[in-house]
Amino acid sequence: MASTQINSGAQSRALPTMRQVVESAFPIIVIYLVMATIYSVVQPSALSLYSIESLFNNSLPLMLAAAGATFVILQGGFDLSVAGVISLANVVVAVAPIEGPLGALANFAMVVAIGLVVGAVNGYVVAYLRIQAIAATLATMIICKGVALLVLGAPGGYVSDFMAYELTASIFGAVPIAVVIAVAVMMFWSVFRTTNSGRSLLSVGQDEHAAALSGIDVAKARFMSFLWAGAFYGAAGYMLAAQTATGNPNGGDPFLLLCFAAVALGGTAFGGGRGGVTASLFGAATLMLMQKVLFAVGVSSFYTGVIQGAIMILAVLFSAFVQAATSRRNTP
Amino acid sequence: MQNDNAMTNAGAEQEDKRTTAKVSGEFVTIVAIFGLTIAMILASRAISPSFGSWSQVETILYLSSFLVFCAFGQGLVILVRGLDLSIASVITLGGVLTASLMNGSNEGLIYLVPMILGACVIVGVVSGIGVAYLRVPPFIMTMAVGLIVYSLCLGFTRGTPRGYPAPLLSDFMQGKFLGVPAPVYLLLVFVVFGTVLQSYSAFGRKLNAVGNNPLAAYIAGLPSGLLIVSAYAVSALCAGFTGMMLAGYASGATLRMGDSYLLPSIAAVVVGGSSILGGQGNFVGTVGGALLLTTLATILTALGIEQGWKTIMEGGVILLALIALREQSFAFLRDVFGKRG
Amino acid sequence: MKLTKIAKALALTALIGAGTQVVSTEEASAKTKDGKWLIYLSLSYSGNSWQSEAANIVKALAATPPFNETVELVEVISGTDPQAQISDYESMIANGADGIVSFPISSTALNRVVKRGCQEGVLFFMYDATVTEQCAYNISYITSGFGENSAQALVNALDGKGKIFLSRGVPGNSVDDRHTNGAMHIFNQYPDIEVVAEYYSYWDDRTTQQETAKALAAHPDVDGIWAQAGEFGAIQALLQANPDRLVPMTGENSNGFRLALANPDYQAKGIDGVSAGSPPAQSGFAFKIMMEILNGTRDALPEDQRNIEYPLPWVPGDAVVLCEGDKFEDGCNAFPDGKVPSSFVTEVFNPELLPELSLTSALEGQPTPGAEIQPLPADAVKAAPNEPGINCRQCEAPADLYHLTKIEPTVQP
Repeated sequence: MASTQINSGAQSRALPTMRQVVESAFPIIVIYLVMATIYSVVQPSALSLYSIESLFNNSLPLMLAAAGATFVILQGGFDLSVAGVISLANVVVAVAPIEGPLGALANFAMVVAIGLVVGAVNGYVVAYLRIQAIAATLATMIICKGVALLVLGAPGGYVSDFMAYELTASIFGAVPIAVVIAVAVMMFWSVFRTTNSGRSLLSVGQDEHAAALSGIDVAKARFMSFLWAGAFYGAAGYMLAAQTATGNPNGGDPFLLLCFAAVALGGTAFGGGRGGVTASLFGAATLMLMQKVLFAVGVSSFYTGVIQGAIMILAVLFSAFVQAATSRRNTP
Repeated sequence: MQNDNAMTNAGAEQEDKRTTAKVSGEFVTIVAIFGLTIAMILASRAISPSFGSWSQVETILYLSSFLVFCAFGQGLVILVRGLDLSIASVITLGGVLTASLMNGSNEGLIYLVPMILGACVIVGVVSGIGVAYLRVPPFIMTMAVGLIVYSLCLGFTRGTPRGYPAPLLSDFMQGKFLGVPAPVYLLLVFVVFGTVLQSYSAFGRKLNAVGNNPLAAYIAGLPSGLLIVSAYAVSALCAGFTGMMLAGYASGATLRMGDSYLLPSIAAVVVGGSSILGGQGNFVGTVGGALLLTTLATILTALGIEQGWKTIMEGGVILLALIALREQSFAFLRDVFGKRG
Repeated sequence: MKLTKIAKALALTALIGAGTQVVSTEEASAKTKDGKWLIYLSLSYSGNSWQSEAANIVKALAATPPFNETVELVEVISGTDPQAQISDYESMIANGADGIVSFPISSTALNRVVKRGCQEGVLFFMYDATVTEQCAYNISYITSGFGENSAQALVNALDGKGKIFLSRGVPGNSVDDRHTNGAMHIFNQYPDIEVVAEYYSYWDDRTTQQETAKALAAHPDVDGIWAQAGEFGAIQALLQANPDRLVPMTGENSNGFRLALANPDYQAKGIDGVSAGSPPAQSGFAFKIMMEILNGTRDALPEDQRNIEYPLPWVPGDAVVLCEGDKFEDGCNAFPDGKVPSSFVTEVFNPELLPELSLTSALEGQPTPGAEIQPLPADAVKAAPNEPGINCRQCEAPADLYHLTKIEPTVQP
């Protein structure tokens, strides 16, 4: 394990190629493809456009949330506020729907702003006041949930037709918009990680002291990671509203643990420095696909959890195995 | 560490003469957190005249004991740089087994209690092996194990937990001794035992060493793997014990009985001054954290305001407590009081 | 590396395991071909006895002749995450479900997939909790006025004045909201009724006990408790605080609560109240209506009239009658101590609507020996009033939404 970290650390200082980006997410992509194959064999209707569309619409909120959490985890932090921000964004969109594409954009700006505000609070408290991230973000999560309850006391409200129907449809009747968004996030990440901000994020996660010595503003890198995370959580709450066409003040709760499970499945190291957003996106997609596969193969009784838990552990072991194997090949 | 240049302050003066600076730092945190809790209890008189009474303190001690039991285990796991998310499910496991195996009779308790706790320990050992030897991240290992255990409980009970705990257990949990609820004595014994185990025993010192610097501990010849596994085992043991006590308190088990302890157990440990990065922590601090959280919840329940505002206040107070309890705040206080003294 | 070998072996087993499961379900997915209705039972497990009893009732009915020959029932547990239930509904529709009997996790989030299912010709029957999508049938007691009726009963017992606790369900939940609004409609009419603490108990006995204990620390002099499910925990907390004092309280249908209401010792200590609330038997009623529609013996209802009310159980302390056997017979409505856990929800039977059931049906999901499915009485289906956010989206609630149906005020505000 130690050797893997050092190795990938060395990689990220050089400009990463597309190949490396794919490589870091390689094990989880393999797992995802294996599951997708099993699913499409067992369930022939899985390959219809409708099935794919609904699967991705269902997965996208978790994927965005996991993408956001990755930013914080990469620098060695932790962010529980995800559940609160998603709930809050979700209800705000549902109580203040604005019609039309521009309205949808305005709603989007609102949720991103919410995410940025919460992220800024998290970032300030963690990076500058040096409070432990897990405790500070637990507090902000609770606060956000309280605000969400004040905004909407019970599930309800409605979102604009554009959000509910256009954003969950497909482009040219062939590519679900959810897939387009996921790919856009991957592309954003592959660019972001080569920028100064991206590099400082990773190096802070690898070795805080070394990063500080090489002139990186560690506190600022930490702060920024919470901002990015908040913005992505807001987007996740937005897509949750689009998918369910309503608001729910508890809508974010299931995301709390699932989101970190997705990040861990993607192979991003808790403690920082290794991993990436692309891997987390696939981790999240895998978790949602797992639900489908379990249903398709008929595991849906009391013991579903046993299988889910076992698959999660095995998937992580598989990732570790692949990473160990590739790093052995790469290091002389 | 951070407290190298700790100066004396009013509260810690006598301590400082014979202990190291690090202990003084921890001591200040503990004094501050207990002080904050007591201040909250006194201030809560403004909300209800019945607050601030001994019976309120009794209720808080009683209700926080469950949190203290499971937070001790969580604290040990955090000490070795882990996190135990299976706590909620293991509490449920302990409770469900207590209700269904004891089945309302005192017979065979001598065998049943170790059996039930043993089952929980096995869960902890599995988590520990996954983390220490298979190198699965603690977060995902314990979450997955928690999922598996919960699912087994669901299947075992077919959704309806049956039975009652032994009358002996129920009577103890619901009884009073010298006018004080019996579990409060249990809490005191547990705190003493936990503190000795974590801070003054060879086992505790070794865990500290592993958490502080795994590499150094390894070089020093400590069996890191075994120590990590034992931390998870103790955590599961404590969670199972919590479940057993909860079942006794409520004369039965439900499948969600552990849910409300997961995040608070982590919060109690961290608010109590332990670092999530391992190697730093003190059980008395955790106890203070648990008392603080329970006191806060008790006061909020009695507040006649909307749930949304209550929730906001809960988060706000935790955040403020964290900010007030951090090292820099103490440094500031030390400066102020140091100059004056 | 030893580690990688283990990992390799584990990964291999996983793949093989997955492979064998694939084979086993090939057969299972070809179900409707044998002439049976493919019915899915989609559950959430909030973890109390209620969910498993409701599920067991449907399972028992599906195994009772003639349904055992005509129905293929598949149980699916979706946990507590709406996203998981959406995913499972999608899979059910894709598998060619004829009907889905379900406890919906969210009143709103499932609408889209439900609507699509309806378009594919799937019948949706929601029990207890509801969805606001109009094409689904909602079979629920929610509109039957639990909140306002039980609140009036408490006000009557308190003579119109006193300090009370509200032990609520889950924050931000539409059912909890509806109950509490109904209750507050009554309490607000009585200026001498003071709500001194309001807390969320997540419909769970243990949580209710702890939350009530916290509230009692501040208000040991409370005069009454209005509780949703989990009510037995409130009694335990009261006894813990003071073994000699109970107060008037209302709650839902747990066996422990009914026994307590009828217990002369407890009555002497001051308990007085009504057991009402959510009956697990709703699931069986929903399932039977669905089967009658599928079998053509009952006409489908138009889309805007698919909200069906299940009658509110209403058992005051003096009406508690213990059952001698395993059925609700001779007007009995609770079971002796020790026969079922105290958290067991008693309203699993309905002699008129569901004469097929016995205690084993509710506990084990087994059919009653010798029972056969009886047709529902002609007047069984009663329309429920519209309630925005509960069973419809943009609709008008009737003006007399909170009118009392079970009890008359004995004290005037």
